[in-house]
Amino acid sequence: MGALPRTVELFYDVLSPYSWLGFEVLCRYKHLWNMDLQLRPSLIAGIMKDSGNSPPALLPRKAQYLNVDLKNLREHLQVPIYIPKDFFNVILQKGSLSAMRFLTAVNLEYPEMLEKVSRELWMRVWSRDEDITEPQSILAAAEKAGMSAEQATQLLEKISTVKVKTLLRETTEAACRYGAFGLPVTVAHVDDQTHMLFGSDRMELLAHLLGEKWMGPVPPAPAAKL
Amino acid sequence: MGALPRTVELFYDVLSPYSWLGFEVLCRYKHLWNMDLQLRPSLIAGIMKDSGNSPPALLPRKAQYLNVDLKNLREHLQVPIYIPKDFFNVILQKGSLSAMRFLTAVNLEYPEMLEKVSRELWMRVWSRAAEKAGMSAEQATQLLEKISTVKVKTLLRETTEAACRYGAFGLPVTVAHVDDQTHMLFGSDRMELLAHLLGEKWMGPVPPAPAAKL
Repeated sequence: MGALPRTVELFYDVLSPYSWLGFEVLCRYKHLWNMDLQLRPSLIAGIMKDSGNSPPALLPRKAQYLNVDLKNLREHLQVPIYIPKDFFNVILQKGSLSAMRFLTAVNLEYPEMLEKVSRELWMRVWSRDEDITEPQSILAAAEKAGMSAEQATQLLEKISTVKVKTLLRETTEAACRYGAFGLPVTVAHVDDQTHMLFGSDRMELLAHLLGEKWMGPVPPAPAAKL
Repeated sequence: MGALPRTVELFYDVLSPYSWLGFEVLCRYKHLWNMDLQLRPSLIAGIMKDSGNSPPALLPRKAQYLNVDLKNLREHLQVPIYIPKDFFNVILQKGSLSAMRFLTAVNLEYPEMLEKVSRELWMRVWSRAAEKAGMSAEQATQLLEKISTVKVKTLLRETTEAACRYGAFGLPVTVAHVDDQTHMLFGSDRMELLAHLLGEKWMGPVPPAPAAKL
């Protein structure tokens, strides 16, 4: 009998490009490693506020580098990530509060859909430069992920409930207690140790900590099971 | 006949812990990849000033993370890196101006020694081998009396400016020249991407040593 899978939490926000990159790499390893990947929808704006940090893109040379880095990583990680035309408006004005509350609700009611709905929201804002703040935008993402219009609408009605707002806030606070000053934050629970890793570029280190094999950011798909 | 080696520049400062990590990984690949590694001693304080950035450790939660991250990377990258006891004094007060001028001079007069001398300076600041945190001023000053010239000061400044023109807001910065393209990579954690851009094989941060040549 194999060892118990190790819990690996991923705190993320669909507003965060590097969260998408970390998410896709981890999802690829879900069936390759002995890992139980727990997705934790969080609010990056809350983490920035709590830690006293600020979005890196506010420094001109970091914004310039973001362009360069994401272009390289798009190709190396094979994730179709493109910076929205009106980047500052999307990131700083529009934000992701409704989207992350929606994902919190998905996680409560249909956790098996969380990965797909998260991906569709990223595809909207970070691939096709589409809105994720309006109700119809969120519904469109949910339906593209395979939810019925009824399920999606039902969940959308719940995003302003105390339960959902509280859970998003608590998840964000959990990331902060782990020491987050940004996202993505990956927390690996190995034996009796807890390892917090920041960024999408600590996955090889994660493999090392888990005693697993790193096969690059685009590993071969697991062999089909008969 | 093989292809011409690709020039890969590494802009670094011995005051920068991640510069040490990037440096060691790149040095390990020097004889494994078809790469001409050009070390570029730079001043991180100058880059911070020019870019308007500030040292990450000034944010409490980033300082806390630095502890965690360096401990993990020490083991994963097999580099004996330890945070100096009086970290803020070392990084912010004492700095690295003399050391980086010294390395600039080494690069001018004994470039074949630059790798080893750089490593020894990192070992002094960032490893327990150092008897005290920070640089030994005596040794550096002795040599600096001979080399503290306009030439050395200018070259350090120009190298730092070159890093800034590549878009640096911190160090390490790795610049890969591949065919007619220039790729700027920030951080010690872009080496697998570098391999990809060079069309080389990534074998992790501690690759097997190259086979001995007869």
